[in-house]
Amino acid sequence: MSNFSVGFRSSGPVTILDLNGELDAHTASELEAAIQRCKDDQHVKIVVNGDQLQYISSAGLGVFMAYIEEVREAGGDIKIASLQPKVFNVFDLLGFPMLFDIVDQEAEAVSKFESHPGAQPGNGSES
Amino acid sequence: MPPRIVTDTTSRLRSIDFGALFRSAVLAVVAIAGFVAGVGYSMLLWAGQMQDSDTLAAAYHVAICITYVSLFLLLAARYDDRPDTIVEVFWTPVAVGVVFLIVGYFVSRIGQSALLPELAGAVSAGFDLDTGRPLALATVVKMNTLALLEAVFCFLLLLRLRNLALIKRTLTSQRQWNWMIIAMIVAAMTTFMKPPQYELNLYQSVALVPAVGLMVVNAFRTAWIVSLSFRDKLLVIVLSVAILAILLSIGVMEESIAFPNKVVPGSYTFLRHYSYPLAVFTNLSIVFGIIYCTTTILTVLFHLPTTSAYQQKVHEVAAIHSLTDLVGQVFDQSALFDTIAASPVKAGLADAAWLTVANLEDHEPASVVSSHRIAGGRVDRFVDSAALVEEARGSTQPLVLAHAPADHRVSARPGDGIGSLVVIPLNARGDSLGAIIAAKEVSRGFEPEDIEALRVYGDQAALALDHAHLFEERIEKERLARELDIAREVQTKLLPNTLPDVPGVAIAADSIPALEVGGDYYDFMHLDDDRFAFVVADVSGKGTSAAFYMAAMQGIFKSLSRVAPSPKDFLVAANEALSRLLERNVFVSVLYGVLDAREETIRVARAGHCPPAVGDLSGTTELWRSRGLGLGLDPDGELFKQTIEEKSRQLQPGDVFVFYTDGLIESRRGAEEYGYDRLLNVLRDNRHEEAANIRSILLADLDRFVEYGAYGDDTTIVVVKWHGNRYDSDLARVPSLNDRSETLQ
Repeated sequence: MSNFSVGFRSSGPVTILDLNGELDAHTASELEAAIQRCKDDQHVKIVVNGDQLQYISSAGLGVFMAYIEEVREAGGDIKIASLQPKVFNVFDLLGFPMLFDIVDQEAEAVSKFESHPGAQPGNGSES
Repeated sequence: MPPRIVTDTTSRLRSIDFGALFRSAVLAVVAIAGFVAGVGYSMLLWAGQMQDSDTLAAAYHVAICITYVSLFLLLAARYDDRPDTIVEVFWTPVAVGVVFLIVGYFVSRIGQSALLPELAGAVSAGFDLDTGRPLALATVVKMNTLALLEAVFCFLLLLRLRNLALIKRTLTSQRQWNWMIIAMIVAAMTTFMKPPQYELNLYQSVALVPAVGLMVVNAFRTAWIVSLSFRDKLLVIVLSVAILAILLSIGVMEESIAFPNKVVPGSYTFLRHYSYPLAVFTNLSIVFGIIYCTTTILTVLFHLPTTSAYQQKVHEVAAIHSLTDLVGQVFDQSALFDTIAASPVKAGLADAAWLTVANLEDHEPASVVSSHRIAGGRVDRFVDSAALVEEARGSTQPLVLAHAPADHRVSARPGDGIGSLVVIPLNARGDSLGAIIAAKEVSRGFEPEDIEALRVYGDQAALALDHAHLFEERIEKERLARELDIAREVQTKLLPNTLPDVPGVAIAADSIPALEVGGDYYDFMHLDDDRFAFVVADVSGKGTSAAFYMAAMQGIFKSLSRVAPSPKDFLVAANEALSRLLERNVFVSVLYGVLDAREETIRVARAGHCPPAVGDLSGTTELWRSRGLGLGLDPDGELFKQTIEEKSRQLQPGDVFVFYTDGLIESRRGAEEYGYDRLLNVLRDNRHEEAANIRSILLADLDRFVEYGAYGDDTTIVVVKWHGNRYDSDLARVPSLNDRSETLQ
């Protein structure tokens, strides 16, 4: 039924969420539950891997907005990596690159955590 | 559960059945008149005023028969209803029997001393041995009184036993009863006009056989015994013994005057002299009473040990029934959980029970949602319910732990109240919903039939839970549908009815709502004669909340666009105003612009919105990708203010601007999106068309692209085409007629 799933991995202190499928109003609650679980487990260094994410709607974007403040207050961050161009466009359209660290490679996001723990949002990539 | 037969006495009182009343009155008059006439006849006989006359004797006997038939029918009408309680039925014959014995005791001793007690039979009773005439007034009194009393007693006995024998009546049982009465009447009538001093002859005795045979058959109609409680059964035994004692002390067809210690000596003799058929009938009734009471006593004795088993079955049925009732009634899940957990205990199948329910959405392990006769905390401490449910999951057979403390998933020690466990999986439509876990204090506490009964509960409970889920889903669906209706209505009302009237500009706009209303909004406003502001916005989220934010957006647009010096200022102010309203995960993408016909400029800023598509006469097309965060993404507003950009352009005749929402470019066919390129191509190819045509062509192309499927999201398109000031706007305010488009749906 649901064509969206979240996979959990970890790389050192960083938790990696692999998004798979289509993230819309109906599936947003699954990502919400996943991030909530990370937060409950005190895993606030989160990298979201969007390599397999086919689509995102505004409700999907809303999930990132809902949690980013709390995660940052807890000393962590949500970094977004490996987005497909189509999905990146949606993030970009709303100006998310000005609020979130959005990078090409997952490894890059993980290493950013290691170099500056609790990094601040990207400084507004030009689009 | 004693079967309480409901008789609505109040309604019986309210509506008096005059037909029945009249019938009873007639019967009573006939009975009384017949009885009085009978008394008169026997007085005449005694006084010797009567010559032997067969005609008169026949008339007397016919009158007596009619009298007692009337009496029987009168009593039958009174006792025809089903009894309220079984025990009540036994009280009538006991009470009337005792009265008969007491009255009979004294009546039969009137004038006794005048007679020779050692003389047997009719003589000692006071009748002429040859003619059967009463020899003394006392004899007349005794005969009439005892006959009436004994007949009434026997009739009541028969009618009351009829109540019992015809409980759970069938056509057969009713027929057998009627045949018995007929056989009794036939046997009685063979003695019509028989001189009282003779005993029954052979064929009269043979006539008794079918009656007695049918009595035996009817005596086994004792199905009512099964449903009696233990206490009622004991009471029935006591009362049956009492009736039996009364019947035996009356005696059957014996010249009992020879036994002076008899309670009512000579009752049969008196009856025979009164009316031979009545004597036979009453005696047959007594025989039936004896047989029926005997079978009753024996049957009750046999059923005493099975009473508790029967009661348990009754509880089981009641418990299952309460579950099926719940399927229709309970809108409250926790009440349903409690009932399901309680029913095995209430049915006496377990000492404690609890219900675990799996969370189907979260795929969490099953958790205990309700427990009965054991605290939830104790359950969690002693039993790893989730592991047990996991093992039973998917199976239709219950999982039985005969020695629960020996199992590794049970940490209870002997004495903790968990000796044996049964896990009954609850499955519905292929899903595992959870399980009922029943516990007994002893090990090996569950018999195979208990487990079977629990399995039946499981099926019922699963059904109830499934229905509750479905019901909840349905409620949720209806709620959403209502919300969507409201949202659609709000959306329709928020969209503008008229388009701005500015010389040199043609405007066309359309918004197609999706099945699930998104939050598309567009609007225009005149700022002065030559300038108008336009806005296209998309609220994230759906339904009523989207409609609410749209309304808020409209308010902001109407109030701020007049005062904001530039599109950038407008959006900064709008972000500040909206951020106070928006939930954390909701945002609004907005495109806002101002067209100045006098200055021939257009200025646009976008806050996270789709970039406008711009084309000119030469066929150049582009997207205006200025920077700008969506409203509500940066509640502080600092970053928003820093990053927001404006685009502007000196207008050239033939410039076309297409403003739209993501419903257009994100509409999909399979994995392919409509996309910017296709939009720009359509714009370039049709740049010479009117604004309204460009809009229609775009929508038609989108329709073709999605193959006339449903739009996933609201789709809004606003097309603005600049024709240039062909007239001096200060001199002639003539609208550009050929370009005016009023094509709102």
